[in-house]
Amino acid sequence: MNFSFGNYLSSDCSAVRNWEPLGWVFAGMNFIFLTCTMGLATFLLVESIPVWRSEGLAFWLGENWWVGETFGALPMICGSFIVTGLAVLLVLPVALSGALFTSEYLTPPLRRRMKGIMEMLAGIPGIIYGLLGVSFLTAGVKDVFNLLDGNTLFTAGCLLAIMILPTVLTLSEDALRSVSSEFREAAEGLGLTKLQTAWRVVLPQSLPGIVGAVLLGIGRAMGETIAVMLVIGSLDRVPGFNIFVSGQTIPSKLGREAAEALGSAEHWSALMGLGFTLFLMVAFITICGNYFKYWSGR
Amino acid sequence: MSAIAFEKVVRVIIGSITFIIIGLLVAIFSIMFLKGFPAFHGDFLFAESKDFGRAGGVFYQLVGTLILMTTAVLLSLPVALGSVLFQTEYMAPGKFKTLLAQLTYVLNATPTILFGLVGYLLFGVYLDTGVSWVTGSMILAVMILPTLQVSLREAVEALPQKYREAGMALGLTRSSQIRRVILPQCFYGVVTGVLLGLARAAGETAAIMFTATTFSGIQFPQSFSDPVPTLQTHILILAQEAAHPESIAQAWGSGLVLLGLVFILTLMAWVFRTRVVMESDL
Amino acid sequence: MARYQRVWAGLILCLMVGFPLETVADTGLRVQIVGSTTVLPVASRSAQKFMQSSKVRIIANAGGSGVGIHSVAQSRADIGMASREISPDEKIRFEKSNLITHPVGLDAVACMVSAEIYQAGVRHLTRREIAGIYMGKIRNWKEVGGPDREIVVIDKERHRGTRHVFMNYIFGNALQRTPGTLLVTGSNNEEQTKIAQSDSAIGMLSFAWINEQVKAVTLRDQGKEYLPTWKAVQQREYPIVRKLNFITAGEPRGEVKAFIDFVKGPEGQKIIEESGYIPIGGN
Repeated sequence: MNFSFGNYLSSDCSAVRNWEPLGWVFAGMNFIFLTCTMGLATFLLVESIPVWRSEGLAFWLGENWWVGETFGALPMICGSFIVTGLAVLLVLPVALSGALFTSEYLTPPLRRRMKGIMEMLAGIPGIIYGLLGVSFLTAGVKDVFNLLDGNTLFTAGCLLAIMILPTVLTLSEDALRSVSSEFREAAEGLGLTKLQTAWRVVLPQSLPGIVGAVLLGIGRAMGETIAVMLVIGSLDRVPGFNIFVSGQTIPSKLGREAAEALGSAEHWSALMGLGFTLFLMVAFITICGNYFKYWSGR
Repeated sequence: MSAIAFEKVVRVIIGSITFIIIGLLVAIFSIMFLKGFPAFHGDFLFAESKDFGRAGGVFYQLVGTLILMTTAVLLSLPVALGSVLFQTEYMAPGKFKTLLAQLTYVLNATPTILFGLVGYLLFGVYLDTGVSWVTGSMILAVMILPTLQVSLREAVEALPQKYREAGMALGLTRSSQIRRVILPQCFYGVVTGVLLGLARAAGETAAIMFTATTFSGIQFPQSFSDPVPTLQTHILILAQEAAHPESIAQAWGSGLVLLGLVFILTLMAWVFRTRVVMESDL
Repeated sequence: MARYQRVWAGLILCLMVGFPLETVADTGLRVQIVGSTTVLPVASRSAQKFMQSSKVRIIANAGGSGVGIHSVAQSRADIGMASREISPDEKIRFEKSNLITHPVGLDAVACMVSAEIYQAGVRHLTRREIAGIYMGKIRNWKEVGGPDREIVVIDKERHRGTRHVFMNYIFGNALQRTPGTLLVTGSNNEEQTKIAQSDSAIGMLSFAWINEQVKAVTLRDQGKEYLPTWKAVQQREYPIVRKLNFITAGEPRGEVKAFIDFVKGPEGQKIIEESGYIPIGGN
């Protein structure tokens, strides 16, 4: 680690051979940051080795999670995907309409205010969404869809949709705004209306950025713990195609069992395995999202 | 003609969707206010929690949240500032620099519960700090590191190139350029980053619920190895374990306090951010 | 060794923040209590009372029975709280720590149903019926004398103390798998809320959580009836009873002993009663 780091320094920073002490301090800080990130992933992997050893790939495919006997993460993985997918489906039309209206129809000061509101919405703590979800959303979902019970994958999806709305909206709006105004002027010069311009010119141009925004939203949704934990029903069962049943996501499983597992080695290692899986999923999605965002920025 | 009508209809539809989104924020605030306000008797903010949360206030919980997030930011700020300045001022563009920027985003997206799990194992068990203030603030410090980095980087990169050129022309060394030119110019950016970091730390529950907090017995922590009571876990425990309606009312009240705290921090960050925008426009 | 690591962590912190070093050192007497959320209200209230006449600081924290036992065994806490007994597995693993349980109160677990079902005539259930519901063989309330409505079967997380005693009574196996389950909850209040929000739910809860919307049914087994009342528990008739335990590593000494004695004494037992549990009685 140290050696390669030094290598990078000499190759990337050859312009500045004579660093002052301050430079070394900053390099040290950078090193701490690097260690934090790398350390996190390494730790999750190392701590979960026992479970990979005992279960192998069956850890991802097993349907049963019985502490002390067998650990299968499929219900949690499926749950995570279903809930996240639902959240995206629900949030996409709303967030896109909002982003389109904000970027194409609002004046700059209003736009800035809208962004501020989104930031407020993004800042509301997860525990508060959880409280609201438990008290209102579950009962609402139960009555509207006439279900036996309101703690379902669908409820969690709805709650997550609200939670990632600001992220998706703000980032899509950025993508729409990043389309240069020359295109807009040219299109309007050709006689296209504002809506046609937005639909045929601006939207296609900013598509990579919007995809990036959605992917980053997905990353957010996948990792949410507290709010989902309180409304999802926590049933470790592969849900099939019915979204109106209880389920479980990886973070909610971690949140519920982490404290209890501290004592026992196998159980803890299984949870770390889940954590590592989640980390891989989120890291992959985030890197893709950033790639799209970067691509649209050029 | 119908095209114009269609245009109008679409405009109204997406406009009203936008208003509904704004309405969402208003709705959340009013629900929290309606549910939480009844708990605000005389000195809710300044009294100690009593009788398993049924009576009293949330003073020490509020203090706990404040000290936990402040320590986290104090720990995180030097690292964030150092790494950002190193990346922007010392490193030449290259693959490694791009990788570092990517890592910031990955760290930012990492589910907070993972910080809790790994942090507890690393600090709490291997370094033997247990469930304590140190453990919690270190975990939160790592968690808000990317938030701070993103804001700081934005601020540093928004500085006009001519400032740096002017500094160089005056023969300033790199470190004195950072001290005399860059840091003072990014002051508002640093403040914004700190405020956003504080807000993120204040809103976090999953990472600290089994690593740093306690329900009762602590007022002000007397050492770094004491756990602290916080608003977030107070809400969680009251909402989960309390058998009396009074306790639930207290949970809503604590929720309102927490929401207010985060709201104020975000609002301040927003105000400072606009200062940054105005300055870089000059 | 452990001491050094703690100082190290503090030192790093101090260097970075510039706090004065002396704050790292432990100040004053401190008793740490960690564990079961069921026992937490008792410990929290007792500690508040106890500290009025003592200089000791008592820190009560949640975590779950497992955490409580584990923390005590690894001397990360002075007292562990558990709403169940120490399992044989834990006994073997922590043999060296010489764990001792101190029962401080009793708690009874009832089979709960939504008020709508209770009013519609389901006042009692046999052990066999409850087993059938949890195994997914009985799916409608009309099969047990209720209205024609599907049953919302609410289970608890497998490691919860409440579930251990309940399943132990119904099936004779604390870790029984229950395919009939529709919903899994964690804490007592969470389950209470879910039963109250539903109009056809069944679940398991401590007596303290009975209210207008959540009703306890009478249990029937082999021709005998067990009313879910405090009286039945006090007369040792009600079958699903568990002890609320404090756990220490070795015989308690000094402040720890003083606090446990306080909880077992008249004032502590009054707090147990106020918290919705049953005093252990002259122990």
